Amino acid sequence: MIPTLLGITIVVFAISRMAPGDPVSLAMGPGGMMDAQRAADVRAARMKLYGLDKPVYVQYVIWLGRVARLDFADSIKHHRPVIDLIKERLPITLTLNLISFVIIYAISIPMGVLSAVGRKKFLDRAGSVMLLMLWSLPSMWVGQMLIGYLCGPPLNWFPPAGLSSNDAGQFPFFHWLADRLWHLVLPVFCLTYAGFAYLTKLVRAGMLENLRADYVRTARAKGLSNWAVTFHHAFRNSIIPVITIMATLLPAMFGGSVIIEEIFSISGMGLLAFEAVTTRDYNVVMGVATIAGVLNLIGLLMADIAYAMADPRISFESAV
Amino acid sequence: MSDNGILLDIKGLCVNFFTENGVAKAVQDVSFSVKKGETFALVGESGCGKSVTALSVMRLIADPPGKIVAGEIIFDGRNLLELSEHRMRSVRGNSIAMIFQEPMTSLNPVYTVGEQIVETIRLHQKKNEVEAWELATEMLRKVGISDPGQRITEYPHQMSGGMRQRVMIAMAISCEPELLIADEPTTALDVTIQAQILDLLDQLQGQSQMSVLLITHNLGIVAERARNVAVMYASRIAELSDCKSLFDKPLHPYTQGLLKSLPRLGFTGKRLYTIPGIVPEPLHFPAGCKFHPRCPIGCNNKRCQTVEPQLRSLDNGRAVACWFAPGYERPDDPK
Amino acid sequence: MSENKQKTWGTSYGEMVWHEFAKSKFTLCWLGFIILLFLLAIFAPFLANDKPFFIKIDGQLHWPLFKAFTASDYSIFLAATVAVIQLLLVFRNRKSVDPSIRSGVLWRQIFISVFVVLVGIIFLYIFIPRRLDATDYKSMVASGKATNAIFAPIPYGYGRTDLKVREQPPNRQHWLGTDDVGSDVLCRLIHGSRISLSVGFVAVGISSIIGIIIGAILGYSGGKTDFLGMRLVEIMMAVPVFFLIITIVAFFPRSLFNIMLIIGLTTWTDDARFVRAEFFKLRRQDFVQAAVSLGLPLRSILFKHMLPNAIAPVLVNATFGIAGAIFIEAALSFLGFGVAPPTPSWGQILSLGVSTTGRFLWWLTLFPGLAIFFTVLAYNLVGETLRDAIDPRLREST
Repeated sequence: MIPTLLGITIVVFAISRMAPGDPVSLAMGPGGMMDAQRAADVRAARMKLYGLDKPVYVQYVIWLGRVARLDFADSIKHHRPVIDLIKERLPITLTLNLISFVIIYAISIPMGVLSAVGRKKFLDRAGSVMLLMLWSLPSMWVGQMLIGYLCGPPLNWFPPAGLSSNDAGQFPFFHWLADRLWHLVLPVFCLTYAGFAYLTKLVRAGMLENLRADYVRTARAKGLSNWAVTFHHAFRNSIIPVITIMATLLPAMFGGSVIIEEIFSISGMGLLAFEAVTTRDYNVVMGVATIAGVLNLIGLLMADIAYAMADPRISFESAV
Repeated sequence: MSDNGILLDIKGLCVNFFTENGVAKAVQDVSFSVKKGETFALVGESGCGKSVTALSVMRLIADPPGKIVAGEIIFDGRNLLELSEHRMRSVRGNSIAMIFQEPMTSLNPVYTVGEQIVETIRLHQKKNEVEAWELATEMLRKVGISDPGQRITEYPHQMSGGMRQRVMIAMAISCEPELLIADEPTTALDVTIQAQILDLLDQLQGQSQMSVLLITHNLGIVAERARNVAVMYASRIAELSDCKSLFDKPLHPYTQGLLKSLPRLGFTGKRLYTIPGIVPEPLHFPAGCKFHPRCPIGCNNKRCQTVEPQLRSLDNGRAVACWFAPGYERPDDPK
Repeated sequence: MSENKQKTWGTSYGEMVWHEFAKSKFTLCWLGFIILLFLLAIFAPFLANDKPFFIKIDGQLHWPLFKAFTASDYSIFLAATVAVIQLLLVFRNRKSVDPSIRSGVLWRQIFISVFVVLVGIIFLYIFIPRRLDATDYKSMVASGKATNAIFAPIPYGYGRTDLKVREQPPNRQHWLGTDDVGSDVLCRLIHGSRISLSVGFVAVGISSIIGIIIGAILGYSGGKTDFLGMRLVEIMMAVPVFFLIITIVAFFPRSLFNIMLIIGLTTWTDDARFVRAEFFKLRRQDFVQAAVSLGLPLRSILFKHMLPNAIAPVLVNATFGIAGAIFIEAALSFLGFGVAPPTPSWGQILSLGVSTTGRFLWWLTLFPGLAIFFTVLAYNLVGETLRDAIDPRLREST
């Protein structure tokens, strides 16, 4: 785990340093207003300020030390500590993703099981294709279409941007909550539909394979009812890949988050990252990448542990 | 319980599989009976329909694509094919139990063996949790597993193949069934373990008067353990006989070919005999007698090529399906 | 029983898979759609171009469309021609080449053709100058200076801007409307297909090769090498890939090749895991033990003996990977990190769907979105049917 963590930090650091240009030059612009000497001085001073004048590996070690204390320095653009920015934005992204996560799992698992158990041949194939279609829809297209058709006149069903209405601060709690939820509907939908399609297919495929297994035949030979066989035996085995998928679902959703947050103007980590990258705000970029990497790693670890718990053939040692 | 001691009586069983490539008649007109307390062997090569027959008794044929289209299976006086699914479930695992060929995949990998045995017990018997676990442990001891108290908490992947098969047997006999169907129980095991498992079955049979329907392709096992034998070929029964007579004097050319192919002590020839040709596929059965293309006597005979011989009982309790068997009109006789 | 050897070749693995695959007419239609897309991409300059095929100016016949071909146009023609030749050769091989050497011949074919195409592309880019022909042929025709001009069916170039007609919904002149600088949407869609398809293939090619090599080495070695290698793979998996792509693409000069490279360098982990799992299984098989004991060189064992057996999941994943790469490229272009204008990209057109004033320009949203959707869907469907054809156990319907 630790080496992987270090590896992430190295990758993040290397990427941001490999890029041509640096934030100081960018911030200063062409600088036609000062004479060359003065510009050079200012530049040197700023580089020193941000520690960009030291050799790369020294910068890395210094940075690493500060990361350990969660000190990501200040945002070059916002002039505020990066960690504060992240603290503000992270909960929003997490809420968005977690809600989607829960919805996906809550709907997909029953759908997957049902579609595997009830088998009419045409419905089978058609359903399978429809799920694939759902999965193939590009999220930015869906988002933009939804905004275009549902948010503007004449329908005005949902708000096109943000997480709360402008005067939400004055609402009583439940009104505020309802307003929040109203704003969340479209973004959550956009984040959810793809994961839902994928997971339903996964559950369905797993169930189909397990229902054909030998031990299911044994279970039926023992006299168990269809219900018991489906849920107690086949389902219990099908759940294993579903748990492992949790690990990869989280990083994927973070990526999708960037697009959704940009379209719906939601101030989450995704949007922060996007803006930081466009403005070459190194510190924010590195901070966000590290935090995201760490979170992903935690997710991976939890999925591994859950996997070891669900499948007795896997021992804990080999998982961690 | 019938008077003449017959526990299971199968009459004219026909099972078809409806696939996208056509209808495969996997079992055609199969009839035989198993007496109380005896071991009956159903022998044949892969694909002859013996496993399908066994699964039909338990009504475990997957529908679709398979379907039992004709016949009766009388068990203990009742026709199993007429029972509702609900009543059939109370027969499975309870009066009739089945063990399968692959013990590794036949046990659920995510539950302990104890949980799986207890599941059967609690399904069919009115025992509470504690009693069920005790009975399960007792069953493990009965099948010869040492330290059953410890083993019962283990998972299938922690056990060897022979031990898993013992667990399967324990699970099967836990409700004291009258009939145990064993579908190639030893094929996936080492030869030494094979002997142990078969001895175990013998022993259990002796203790409880349980009948065993043994499905196998291994003639050696049949010779040692079975009282009566049915030889199947390409979905039909070729020959039905008691074990001793079958090996002394096989009547059907197929059985004769099988026995001729067995290596024997003192054999000094250069090559082992094989029956020429291959087993036909269920979708492409030959017309007439299914064995005729490979039969030394019947391959050129007009009647063998066109008319299917029925299973005909002989006086000594044996039965054969062959135009050349004693008791039939000679094929060249005018019809 | 002993017929002429020529006529009793059984069906090869490829033929069996194709036979299974072809059972689904629905999927075959989508495969046809993919082929149609390829044709669109290859013949794009013939379909949508603001230069006429030929034109008579002052009595002289000119061929502006053909003269204006760029290096990338020629590269695509070269690649397409080589591909067609290869396919024809494969069909010929089926009839006349002994199956036992067929796969060796196939590999040699693939290597030679890829080599030829790569070398050809390099030469083309070096030697063909970038000509910019900014002559306004249409006005020449209109004013009568030129006669007998035959234009392409969609007489607009993708780089041409015409601010007089910006942001127009679909009409007679511009069948799918215009974008914010007046370029014809249909023309940009057609030329954009080149970007999407090439990104798909090159990115997946890169990621597959990396994934196979790493997976093979890890799966074969086991032990310490595998342990260390898996840490590396884990790092790649833990880093948020999309974010990494955005970061890299934003920091480096924007070019199509960079995008392809980056996507390829960040999406190899799935292939590596598949190949590693297969190699683990194969390692214990007898034929591998035999090869090792014969002292065969490592690369021969890995690539000649083990790899053909492990390639199936990689092929399936590659099809899904192409769909994914197309999606990533569209997303990047949508966010503004993709290819630089005026090069057309479906994602970029999509991003113009909401104008700076907040107006919803439906034709700039619907059409590129449909293009992306259908393309991604086609590859996903083909990939899924391919997977079912290769491994019937995974079949989802009875």
